[in-house]
Amino acid sequence: MGKIAKIHEMLKSKQCSCTELTKSYLDEIEKSNGELNAYVNITGDEALKAAKTVDEKIAKGEEIGLLEGVPMTLKDNLSTKGIETTCCSKILTGYKPIYNATVWDILQNQNAVMLGKTNMDEFAMGSSCETSYFGGAANPFNTNHVAGGSSGGVASAVGANIAAYGLGSDTGGSIRQPASFCGIVGLKPTYGSVSRYGLIAYASSLDQIGPITTSVEDASIVFDAISQYDDKDSTSKGNVGGETYSKLNNDIKGMKIGIAREYLDGVRDDVKEAILKAAEVYKSLGAEIVYFDLPALKFALPVYYIIACAEASSNLGRYDGIRYGYKTEHYNGTHDMICRTRSEGFGEEVKRRILLGTYVLSAGYYDAYYKKAQNLRGTIVKSFNNAFENCDVILAPTVPMTAFEKGHATSDPIETYLTDICTVPVNIAGLPGVSIPCGFNAKGMPIGMQLIGKSFGEAQILNAAYKYQQAAGENFKETKWGVKL
Amino acid sequence: MGCKTVKYELVSGFETHIELATKTKIFCGCTTEFGGEPNTHCCPVCIGLPGTLPKLNREVVRYAILAGLAVHGEVAEVAKMDRKNYCYPDLSKAYQISQLYAPLIIGGYVELSNGRKIRLHHIHIEEDAGKLIHQHGDTYVDYNRGGVPLIEIVSEPDIRSIDEAREYVEKLQQVMRYIGISDCKMQEGSMRCDVNISVRPEGSEEFGTRTEIKNMNSINNIAKAMEYEYERQVDLIESGGKVVQETLRYDDATGTTSSMRSKEDAHDYRYFRDPDLVTINVSREEVEELRAKLPELPTEKCKRYVEQLSLPEKDAQLLTKYRRISEYFDEACDGVKSPKTVANFIIGQIFRRTETESDKEVFDVAVTPKQLNELVKLLDSGKIRNNLAKATLEKMLDTGKGALEFISEDDMGGIDENALLELCKNAVESNPKAVDDFKSGKEKAIKALVGNVMKNSRGKADAAAAEAKIKELIG
Amino acid sequence: MVTREDVENIALLSKLFVPEEELDSLTKSMQEIIDFADAINNAPSEGEAFDNINNLSNVFREDEVIPSYSSEEILKNAPEQAENHFLVRNRE
Ligand SMILES: [Mg+2]
Ligand SMILES: [Zn+2]
Repeated sequence: MGKIAKIHEMLKSKQCSCTELTKSYLDEIEKSNGELNAYVNITGDEALKAAKTVDEKIAKGEEIGLLEGVPMTLKDNLSTKGIETTCCSKILTGYKPIYNATVWDILQNQNAVMLGKTNMDEFAMGSSCETSYFGGAANPFNTNHVAGGSSGGVASAVGANIAAYGLGSDTGGSIRQPASFCGIVGLKPTYGSVSRYGLIAYASSLDQIGPITTSVEDASIVFDAISQYDDKDSTSKGNVGGETYSKLNNDIKGMKIGIAREYLDGVRDDVKEAILKAAEVYKSLGAEIVYFDLPALKFALPVYYIIACAEASSNLGRYDGIRYGYKTEHYNGTHDMICRTRSEGFGEEVKRRILLGTYVLSAGYYDAYYKKAQNLRGTIVKSFNNAFENCDVILAPTVPMTAFEKGHATSDPIETYLTDICTVPVNIAGLPGVSIPCGFNAKGMPIGMQLIGKSFGEAQILNAAYKYQQAAGENFKETKWGVKL
Repeated sequence: MGCKTVKYELVSGFETHIELATKTKIFCGCTTEFGGEPNTHCCPVCIGLPGTLPKLNREVVRYAILAGLAVHGEVAEVAKMDRKNYCYPDLSKAYQISQLYAPLIIGGYVELSNGRKIRLHHIHIEEDAGKLIHQHGDTYVDYNRGGVPLIEIVSEPDIRSIDEAREYVEKLQQVMRYIGISDCKMQEGSMRCDVNISVRPEGSEEFGTRTEIKNMNSINNIAKAMEYEYERQVDLIESGGKVVQETLRYDDATGTTSSMRSKEDAHDYRYFRDPDLVTINVSREEVEELRAKLPELPTEKCKRYVEQLSLPEKDAQLLTKYRRISEYFDEACDGVKSPKTVANFIIGQIFRRTETESDKEVFDVAVTPKQLNELVKLLDSGKIRNNLAKATLEKMLDTGKGALEFISEDDMGGIDENALLELCKNAVESNPKAVDDFKSGKEKAIKALVGNVMKNSRGKADAAAAEAKIKELIG
Repeated sequence: MVTREDVENIALLSKLFVPEEELDSLTKSMQEIIDFADAINNAPSEGEAFDNINNLSNVFREDEVIPSYSSEEILKNAPEQAENHFLVRNRE
């Protein structure tokens, strides 16, 4: 049984009240957040208020939904009305949105109990959570290691069970990579299946919100809840593939699981071994493993960085000290105020990506970089379509390595960019991908594997993931932290 | 200016921004109403709060298509929205959502009265920016106008004189008002022009270096600014200098243009497809549906008045200047023998009561077109004479009542041949002096005799017929 | 080749200050990233046509007024405001 179902049972059977449960989560946050730095804003009062509503419902004997009263967290780039939302950037300090992200509206309507907002790389730009203005989040398996990024805070909190689940966002791997590093489950849904309204944009054509959970069941429950068509998002399609939870236990006998050789290039041996072992598990479950080539993957990383930075340079132009957020103290005239505000308000990595994005869009370079990258994006989309003619899901590593030590990522930007090599193709092609734990390396750090599906094929990849979880449950390990349910 | 050896030709192209009269903004549900307390027509979307997303107003696309069809443009099968990136406090997202790579309307033209066609490059849709108020060096920002839909009509550099420029703007204004997509009020900013201007020696094929005068908001200022800029460029070239390609602002007070360029404004808009908005595919059926909705346009209407109704060109132009007048005229003409009579009543008596241009545009007249139609038909059938009709129309305009309220059965009797003969005989007999004068060559004396007939017939007699009859009697 | 002038120019367009002493190192690091991005120029073909990521078209809203927010709400997060306007003072 997943954590959400378990909590649901506890509340329904009055084993504990929602208030008691919420308090124990808040207590654990109090105890461990100093070390984990998962939360950047703890909203205890709001959480207890929401818990009280649920308790009143239960006391009246009313039915409660699966997500009702379950303590959870949101990445700090999801807009929450009246609650500070900073993207972990100095430039948004003090900003309290006057509207809710659609996903938060949905969950709040289901009486979700939000414990607080969680840490992330500044504007989701990073793979270690260390570009956060508030400092990075720690890995629950070993706090000397990073939690990954950019949704490092959510992964750290969920991995340490100081939140039952959380929502992150994934632009180039920002849900799957930290989930992989923290030994938990992260689902990046198909582009358009979850509304982006209220998600503070990094790269609009790549961003997608998804769940970070400790089990495949939970990922499935949360995905089913948040995957809705939204009027406010022109790129929204909603849950085209249908609900996933009831299909988790479908037989996967005869399912064709593809492995693209390029995905295994340059991957550390321990990771590669774990993936091949997972393939064996699938074979034993009656699935068929097919190998194939996906040469277009070679260009995925530069294509990703060109497109993401181009969009980011435009999306981040609005932080000018006029309407919200940080504003410089001393300046002379409007232009000077804007430049100083931005130079003081953004961190190094954000500035680097804004400059790169400006460069690839600027006169004389647009064709060579941005336009070319868009064309290659088309090529990558087509290669995936072709690949799915011969397999149902693709199995790949989530990250070529396990969580690195703190401070390692900051030195060389390009080496850090390479961390994303296995995750970005999914964003470029708009496909769904789920990362689940598939073992541990010699140092006891978790390894993650990725299942990539066809467009709106969430049900299929979650089904395959669930079957694996059933067969190799020992890889889904709890840490020493947090609430013991 | 001195004596120039070379004559210079003016070459100009226009970028005309027109605010669309949709109820709501282009990407959110806020009202487009003009004015209002600052920042009260705003929401998270139009002030560009982080995380908000645009959603395109369907009506904006339809209005832009109507505009395109009205100027003979072609509707693109695939149109896309792009971002134009520049950072300025009136632009809440630091980019304007506009169109560059795949605009909605391609080509088209505006035909001038001299027969020249000013070709259009394209028309695109985009959002307006907010308003900045500069006071004591501080800047106050109001986003009420931010996100109001605009079309931008981009012409080719086909304009060759200030008169052509003036007529081009007037024609656009007239057509856009006809189709009802904008009020095109330059003084309120719902129509604004950027004027590109260059000069070249007459006969030269090559274009000179152009400058762009931004944000012109009256036709007179456009004319003045163009005149100044033409002279400036010619003088510059004559004195051995070179025109620099730059953006200029026109100062109304001094009547001069000056450069807007500064290092801060270094512009490279880095246009790229807006990833938050999807492709627009306009079906051919929808285009035809909209085409069918277009009213008869002023140029065609004017031609029809001249060719089919035999109106003088000048009358036709006056009647087609505003859509309401032309519709009034069309209705009043229904089934009448002489449209010219209807035109005369409108241009003469009714225009005297709608003095200003805005009165004419609204054309709120006490007499309905149907009432005017009835009056003209009485005239047509010979039941009343012109003088009586004129006097009656004045009374109708005063009161809003129909012609029959002021004309008795008796008035409408008309007079037959015999009665006319009697009246004429009577006039000749009772005015021997006038008869003698006429006979001795004073042509004018006949007027007194005719006047006598008219008076005694209480205006019902036909003056021309009476004159002929009298001449017969004394001739 | 990324030049110092390129970096100065894109910094201006990006509305970011680059202190004189950081210009050289930033130029170098930009060059490295651009070299990395240049890998796409080894791509064999011109590529496939790409529209938007989920091939949607004609997503519109109807032209219906939704009540706007109050100016207090709109200005709530403004670092500075006056007379219901966002305010940028010239000098502080
Ligand atoms: Mg424009
Ligand atoms: Zn709005």
